[in-house]
Amino acid sequence: MPPSLAVFVGGLAGTGLRLALDTVLPHADDGFPWSTLIANLVGTFALGWLAGGLWTRPAIPPWLKAGIGSGLIGSFTTLSAVMGAVAILDREEATALAALYLGVSLVAGLALAAAGLKLGSAIAHRPMPTEVTDDGATL
Amino acid sequence: MSALVAASVLVAGAVGAVIRYLLSKAYPVRPGHLPGGILVVNVVGSGLAGAVIGLAERAAVSDDVRLVLVTGFCGGLTTFSTWCVETIELADGGRWRAAILNVLVTLALGIGAALGLYLLVR
Repeated sequence: MPPSLAVFVGGLAGTGLRLALDTVLPHADDGFPWSTLIANLVGTFALGWLAGGLWTRPAIPPWLKAGIGSGLIGSFTTLSAVMGAVAILDREEATALAALYLGVSLVAGLALAAAGLKLGSAIAHRPMPTEVTDDGATL
Repeated sequence: MSALVAASVLVAGAVGAVIRYLLSKAYPVRPGHLPGGILVVNVVGSGLAGAVIGLAERAAVSDDVRLVLVTGFCGGLTTFSTWCVETIELADGGRWRAAILNVLVTLALGIGAALGLYLLVR
């Protein structure tokens, strides 16, 4: 399968999952955007786990990495919704909530990315990659 | 939400994902540089989302269009997971300055684009 097609199919699924989560967990304009936070943290851990583990194995074809990484997980997680929420919270004069939302997203996102990479790499019985050697296609 | 709107959101998200993929291939992670393609899509997508949210607020675009463009296209175009994972990979590789810059530049430009365009058009 061409990688771009795999990304398109993965993008349909990832966007659909995020839309479903938004529908199940709606939030008011001045409320905390839980659905986006959950999608971002779950997706970030999953991508770290895959990038640190299974994807270091040569048997995984590039189109599968592209479809799941760039497509499914990439479109399930989103930065624009975070930034859009910050703009709306600013209008609602909920600046403290906006700062809290950004802070929690960032700190937990980086921690989960690190944990995912470490756990994935432990499972694959390989040392952590010390240099980024791929061409970006796996991310 | 009608089935047509939901389907449009999904397709818009998938198109955004393909654009992000192609840009991340064209401008990949490489030593001495920030992850350029991901930075560009995240900033452009955040700015577009801010603008559309602002337009929707004064009813210049409908809620359905907002959903397709913001939740669909911008949501698929931008990504949070790759941003975080690439930052940790930069730090693990000893490139702390690039990792910190990747966080700060994305945050500053993303917030600037989203908030700036939102305030400009609403």
